[in-house]
Amino acid sequence: MPRWLRSARVIAGLLLAGLVLTCALAAPWLAPHDPDEQDLIAMLLPAVWQAGGDHAHLLGTDGLGRDVLSRLLYGARVAMTVALTAALGAAVMGATLAYIAGYLGGRVDWLIGRAIDIWMSFPPVVLSLILMTGLGTGTRNVILAIVLVDWTRFCRVLRAEVIVTARRDYVTAARLVGFSHLRTVIREIVPATIPLLVTLLTLEMGIAVVVEAILSFVGLGVKSSQIAWGQMIADGRDAVYQAPWNLLAPVLAIFVTVAGFNLLGDGLRRSLDVRMVEGRE
Amino acid sequence: MILLGTLGRRLLAAVPILFVVSLLLFVALRVLPVDPAAMSMPPNATRDEIEAARRDMGLDRPLVEQYGVWFDHAVRGDFGRSIHLRRPAAGLVGETLPSTIELATAAMLVASVLGLAGGLLLFALRDRPAETIAETGTTLLMSVPEFLWALLFIFVFGVALQAMPFTGRLDPGLQRPMVTGFLLLDAVLTLRFDVLRSALVHLVLPAIALGLAFAPPIMRVLRASLLDTYHEDYIRQARLRGISETRILLRHALKNAILPTLTLMGVQFGFLFGGSLLVEVIYSYPGMGNLMVDAVRNADLPIIQLVGLTYCVVVLTINSLVDGLYLVLNPRLRAR
Repeated sequence: MPRWLRSARVIAGLLLAGLVLTCALAAPWLAPHDPDEQDLIAMLLPAVWQAGGDHAHLLGTDGLGRDVLSRLLYGARVAMTVALTAALGAAVMGATLAYIAGYLGGRVDWLIGRAIDIWMSFPPVVLSLILMTGLGTGTRNVILAIVLVDWTRFCRVLRAEVIVTARRDYVTAARLVGFSHLRTVIREIVPATIPLLVTLLTLEMGIAVVVEAILSFVGLGVKSSQIAWGQMIADGRDAVYQAPWNLLAPVLAIFVTVAGFNLLGDGLRRSLDVRMVEGRE
Repeated sequence: MILLGTLGRRLLAAVPILFVVSLLLFVALRVLPVDPAAMSMPPNATRDEIEAARRDMGLDRPLVEQYGVWFDHAVRGDFGRSIHLRRPAAGLVGETLPSTIELATAAMLVASVLGLAGGLLLFALRDRPAETIAETGTTLLMSVPEFLWALLFIFVFGVALQAMPFTGRLDPGLQRPMVTGFLLLDAVLTLRFDVLRSALVHLVLPAIALGLAFAPPIMRVLRASLLDTYHEDYIRQARLRGISETRILLRHALKNAILPTLTLMGVQFGFLFGGSLLVEVIYSYPGMGNLMVDAVRNADLPIIQLVGLTYCVVVLTINSLVDGLYLVLNPRLRAR
């Protein structure tokens, strides 16, 4: 068994993330109801263990009589789609720029460094809100906004790593043997930075889940016809007295998903022995 | 003197960044599919009337020229009028910014106290069985973003226990004293202690929600840099001299270990201003975040532009201040 699979954190993280992914993939089979089916007689039912609960709706119903559990399961689809694609997109963009900046140095490096400075002078939430104003709602735009905001997280950390690696003797040796620049980067430098990249990628997935929830919460995320945890929270706030699980269920779902990715990332960071990666936002 | 010089240099270096940001903001918001002219007119306006409004607002001219006009007005303090609220944007931001600064500062205090205490605790637990539990605890703590804390606090303290107020800044009956715009400061200046009490009680939940979310990274960095510092010879030296472990930690090691933590805290403070946006929305707190979210929902471009720029100014100012503080606390940097 590889070393990284022996870490308790990695296993716990994989289990949690796997659980949410399974919910997302199997939502049509797991969900007890159609998530959009309205039951106007059974509006705002509390959870089954509370007074007035109904066995047909384990976590109760929302303001339109839709089943909370079913919506929760379907909400995992948007969360996981955004987490996986946005994190991958940000990683590809950030890493590519980091390899270019770190390997070439000079003016290109200066330019990319200044771009990072400019990006860093904005709180990420504010920047993504501004981008969403421009792009409009929709899953694809949420993903695009996260990529455009969060590429700097990868670029900043990886660039430093690339600069160190590029000075190593074996990289010079590769150049002397006659490797082209492109081949040197792909064959010699990229493999050395993969552990760091994987760790950052996992942590970014958790961040992407949070950002998607935030954007959907303020009504600037996915289209309103889609089911997203952030939207469930926004709706559930008004019903918190009658049916608290309308609010608590999506809050817990976000926590479990993010905790899964964070545990996984943390475990990988330790067992892959890369430099400390800090900072959540 | 050196401090002022550095501070000045950092702030000066921020000017080109600010210029580029304002340009990017302008372009990003002008290529939008929404038409501010059409939005400012009543829904039954004819096509010609909207065209006239477009010309009036200068939207038919080239983008570079539009930016020139905007920049010319901006340096004279005119940032346009809110399309939705029909009031000068600068006034609106000026009214809400102090509230946001108060919230963010209170939250940063919470984050610093929790972060430093947590970091020292994590360090004290090193190489003990409890360390794994504590570290997993910080990982889980990092998985709760500020807006989830805000919602949970409302649920627990506001709804379930009914112990704390969770909307606005003051009890409904109280009149807000107006001197500087900073509510807490104004309450003290006018000796209105009932207002001060009410404002503080309203600040508790949002400040803790925001502070809690930003404390875990501070804990981790402090622990890591303490671990690094303990490898240094001077720590062993201090031990050999018979200085107590507590004194070594607090008087000797912390002085060096605090420096990287401080850099992180500066970055965190900037991000915390962004995080305050969500917390303000959840607690109906009358700050810049609420203004921004309303503006975004109404596509109120002048407001979005100015609020975006203000966040940027705040972050750059904090960064410069932290750099200055770093210089004060680290004599090794002064010797140049």
